[in-house]
Parts: sequence; structure tokens; C-alpha cells
Amino acid sequence: MPSSLAAPVLGIAPENAEALVQRFETSPLLRAARSEALAAYFALASGRAPAGRYWKIDLDALDLSRVEVRAEAAPPRIAATLSRGAIACDLPTAQRVHPQLLERALGTAVSARTRKFASLATAFGNTGAFVYVPAGVSVDDPIEIAYAAGETALFPHTIVLAEADARCTVICTLEGGTEGSFVCGIDEIVTGERASVSFASVQTLALGARSIFTRAARPGKDAHLAWAIAELGADLCASAVEIEIEQTGADAQIAAIFCPSGDQHVDLVTTVDHKVGQARSETIVRSAATGRGQARYLGNISIAAHAQGSDASLRDDALLLSKKAHVDSVPALEIAANDVKAYHGATVGALDEEQIFYMTSRGIERDEAERMIVLGFFEPVIDRFPTRELRERIRAALQAKAG
Amino acid sequence: MSEPGLRINDLRASVAGNDILKGINLTVEPGKVHALMGPNGSGKSTLAFSLSGHPAYVVTGGTATLDGENLLGLLPDKRAKAGLFLSFQYPAAIPGVKVANFLYAARQAVRPGDLTPAKFRALLVEKMELLDMDPTFLGRYLNDGFSGGEKKRLEMLQLAVLAPRYAILDETDSGLDVDALRAVGESVRAMRESGEGRATGFLIITHYPRILHHVKPDAVHVMVGGRIVKQGGADLAELIERDGYDKIREEIEAVA
Repeated sequence: MPSSLAAPVLGIAPENAEALVQRFETSPLLRAARSEALAAYFALASGRAPAGRYWKIDLDALDLSRVEVRAEAAPPRIAATLSRGAIACDLPTAQRVHPQLLERALGTAVSARTRKFASLATAFGNTGAFVYVPAGVSVDDPIEIAYAAGETALFPHTIVLAEADARCTVICTLEGGTEGSFVCGIDEIVTGERASVSFASVQTLALGARSIFTRAARPGKDAHLAWAIAELGADLCASAVEIEIEQTGADAQIAAIFCPSGDQHVDLVTTVDHKVGQARSETIVRSAATGRGQARYLGNISIAAHAQGSDASLRDDALLLSKKAHVDSVPALEIAANDVKAYHGATVGALDEEQIFYMTSRGIERDEAERMIVLGFFEPVIDRFPTRELRERIRAALQAKAG
Repeated sequence: MSEPGLRINDLRASVAGNDILKGINLTVEPGKVHALMGPNGSGKSTLAFSLSGHPAYVVTGGTATLDGENLLGLLPDKRAKAGLFLSFQYPAAIPGVKVANFLYAARQAVRPGDLTPAKFRALLVEKMELLDMDPTFLGRYLNDGFSGGEKKRLEMLQLAVLAPRYAILDETDSGLDVDALRAVGESVRAMRESGEGRATGFLIITHYPRILHHVKPDAVHVMVGGRIVKQGGADLAELIERDGYDKIREEIEAVA
């Protein structure tokens, strides 16, 4: 039944806070936690600039009056081949069967008290998934978690806890949705010593949808963490990913691609916080904007004064494919230590005419040449996604957008 | 179809407002090899780019036809489809685009649907063996991180795979060591002996005559200051090898 024919939607607004939270748990304690998170959402600022000449959406004044909040949402589809105590289940199952394990990771990487949209996701959390890999266990096949957006809002929370020497690959997809679909979620990864986690987030929501994610990871000592993010769908996509390096020897990578076309707006913030030294991080971002597509990227690297021996790099390249498209790219390095290796480089530019001429001189039509060059431009980041099938999916989605 | 050949008639072209080509007349017949020689800055590459349709090179007069088809109004890809090929002196690097995919796209563009992917693969392997190229080339990104010699070999591979009606080789010999030069010569020779390339006409642009030891030209044209100032047979190249361009310059000045 279309929601417009049912009772009017009780939108997300301060005056509806009490009634909305009433829809959830009966336990006063849990309900109070949701109320508190919702109050934080209303009180906090996003930290992102308001609408301007190019970027048209103010993240601090989103119209959520037609977002329908329900306590129940469809659980994600989870596919995994697990053994030796590894777990991949939906969040209610984790809360019921593995509460102690969940407790060790839930909310430890993302603080709902300080992040506006993490607060919103916490207030209305209605779906989620939990992945646990015990010490020394290696899960060979990728664990797939697939969320599908619907008419009512989705507030997913995905949590990965990998113990010492554990290894796993997680592919988390978000697809479906229609005009007006709203998704606001949290991804958290916590690892033990020498663990290795590869996490891929691929968002291909329908146009007209909105997707806002807060993502954070805390790698353990000598742990390896690779986070690959593709934001390809939705009209509005705001994604913040933060890696806190609190243990030496950690090796963290963030790789992100986005390609706003049509009227899409993509806002990405990556943050790598080197709190201790002798650790390495690499951030690579590739984006292309076409049509009236708008992109904003803020890449933060901070290295604390005592984090000597840190090695951090940030590389961000953007292609502008139309006159009305716009990319705003800001690398922000804050380095307080003096014995570090830190690199950053950023480019924004149009397609290279010499490249186009070279290809067209071989008989390839200009449109096709441009498409091949744009797809090629994304390859170094597509390469960071864990499976061949996933890489093909991303290529196909990009091809459709660039064409 | 009117007369066959790559026919260039009184061609004039400018780059960034500077007139470079000042009336070029030259005809490359099917199956023939013409050498275009001249000192640096004489306009040889401008001729190559003007014929291929590079957007920075503006044709200001004259005509150029390929087997009767007017080239000058066509976009670069249409010129290639008409049968023109340019081997670049400095081919562009295109990261992320694999050599194999590029070659297949190009072959499909100029000869749509004539080869199944499997047959195309077999053709590639055959041509690469001829050029002494490692099969790993195919998985690399187009000219990305290639040495000068590797780039030229890839140009020759494209020539072999596309088998155009007319090929312009722009300074393909420059920067090559003896072995690479021999490979280029071999590939042109093999092409001329192959079924697809028997009728290909060549315009070999070169500063030094040494590539002409490997590919014997039917005619030699010498270009100075945007004009063809001397024409002759293969012996003209030998003359230039012995005396350089100064002697020709002196002749022109004497006339002027």
C-alpha cells in the first residue's frame, strides 16, 4: 500500500521525537537511549558547508518530513561460508545470541554522541548485521551483506569484530529503493592484533533516494585494514569514513570512487587519525562528475605530535566531464610530529584531448573513447575491491553513468 | 571512386595561428612506400597531424583525399575508418585502458565484426611474435610506463592489427636502438607481404635515413620550411645520409 494513502507520515522533527521513539522498544532504558541519540541529532551540526553556488543541499537542514520511520525493517540478506566459530548474522540475532561479543564492538568506533548522522542512525536503528571472526580464524570466502532499501526508512548498523590473527573479507551492498527512500546507517570495524579485514561498501540505490553513512574502523596492533567504498546511486549521498590508528604497526587503506551524474550530489569525508606512530595509511580517491553532478570531498590526515614514524599518503584525482558538473576537493593535512612520511596530491581536470585524439585516430568514436578513458581512470581504485564479480558490477554501473 | 591513392594537393595548415604547411603536393599510391624527410621543424609532423585530424592543426587550404574520399571534413575516427593510420611519434599513455581491450575496440571500429574474439586473439599472438613482443603486453595499460622502444613496438602492432589502406609513420625510428629499428623494418616488410597489408601505401616520415635501410622507399620527398623542395628515388635518401640537409638548403637559397 503506498504510504501516501495511509495515515500522514510522522516526519522526523523535534515535535515528533517522543511519538517516533514510542514506536521502538518497550524497555524504558533502551527508549531513553534512542531519545538521547535523537536529541543529539537535532542538536549537532554536520560540520559540512551549507548549500552554495554549486552544491544545493544543506546537510543541516534536510527535509525529513516525509521520511517514514518504522521499528521493523527487512533484515539484510547475508551469504557466508563460515566455520570454526565465525559468525555472520542479522543484528537482532546477534543481540539475542551473542550479546557479549556484540557489546565489545557496538558503538566503540562510531560515537553517536558526537556525529550528527550517527546519532540519527542510532536513534532509529531498525536493521543491521554482525560479523565476528575468532582469533586465528581465516574466513576464505567473502561474507556478503546485502541491504535493500524500501518505502520506509532504513537505519542499518553493520558491525565487524575480528579477533587477533583473524582474517575476513566483507562485501556490504546497499541497493534498491525508490523516489524518496531514505537510508541512514553506521558501519563499524574493530580488529585485534595482526587481524586482516577487507571491507567493501557498494551503494547503488535508485535515483531519488538519499543515503547517509557514518563509517569508522579501529585497527589493532599490526593489523591490516582495507576499506573500499563505491558511492554510485542515490540523489544525495553523504559518507564519512574515519580510521583511528591507536596501535603501532597498523596498515590502513581507504579507497573510494564516486561519479555523480544527472543531479546527483555526493559528499565524502575521509579521515585517518594517526594517534600513535610506526603505522601506515593510504587514502586514494577517484571521482568524475558529469551532467549536473556535484561532488565534495574532504580528505583529512592528522598525525599527532608523538606519532613519530607515521607514514600517511592521500591521493585524490577528479575528472570534470561537463560544464555544469562540479567537484570541490580539499585535502587537509594536520601534522604535529616531525619524523613522518606524509604525502598528498590532488588533481581536478577535464579529459585529456591528446588521449582522446590518440584513441579516435584508431577509429574509436569520441564518445566511446571518452568512456574508455573515464573507466580506465577509475581502474586503480576499482582494483581495490575484493572480488572479480564485484569489480565487474562496479565497472558496469560506472559505464552506465559515464555513457 | 576516383583515382586511388592518398592524394595531397596544395595542402596548407597552421598551428596556433602560425602557418606551417605552405602548399604540400604528394601522392602515395596503394602498395608504395614514400619517405618524407626533412630537418626538424620543417613541418613533417604537422602534415601527419593535419591528415589525421588533430584538433590543434587547422587546415587553411588545399585538399586531401583517400582513394577519392575527402579526408579534411571528417572527424579523426572517420578518417581511420576510411583507412588512414598514423603511427605517433609520442603516443599518449592511457592508464586503466588495457592494450588488448584497446586493440580489440580499434579493430572492431575500423573493421566491424570481421573477427570473433578468439580469431582476434590468434591474430594478436601472431603479430606479436613477429614483433618479438611479450604476451604480457596485452594486460598492461596503454603506453603507461612504456619505454620509448615499447611504445614504438605497440604502434607497429596496431599497424599490423588494423591493416590500414594508408599508414603514416611519424618518426617511428627516432629514439630506437638497432634491434628495435630492425623490428620496425621487419614489421613493415611483413605487413607488405601479408594478405591484408599488400596494398597498404606508406608515408614514412623520418629525420634520419637509417630506417630506409630496412624499408626501401619507392620515392623520397624532402621537406624544408613547410614545402616539398626536392623529390627523387631511394638514392636521394643516400645523398642526404652523406651530405645532410645543408646541401639541399644551399640549393634552395641559390634558387631564391
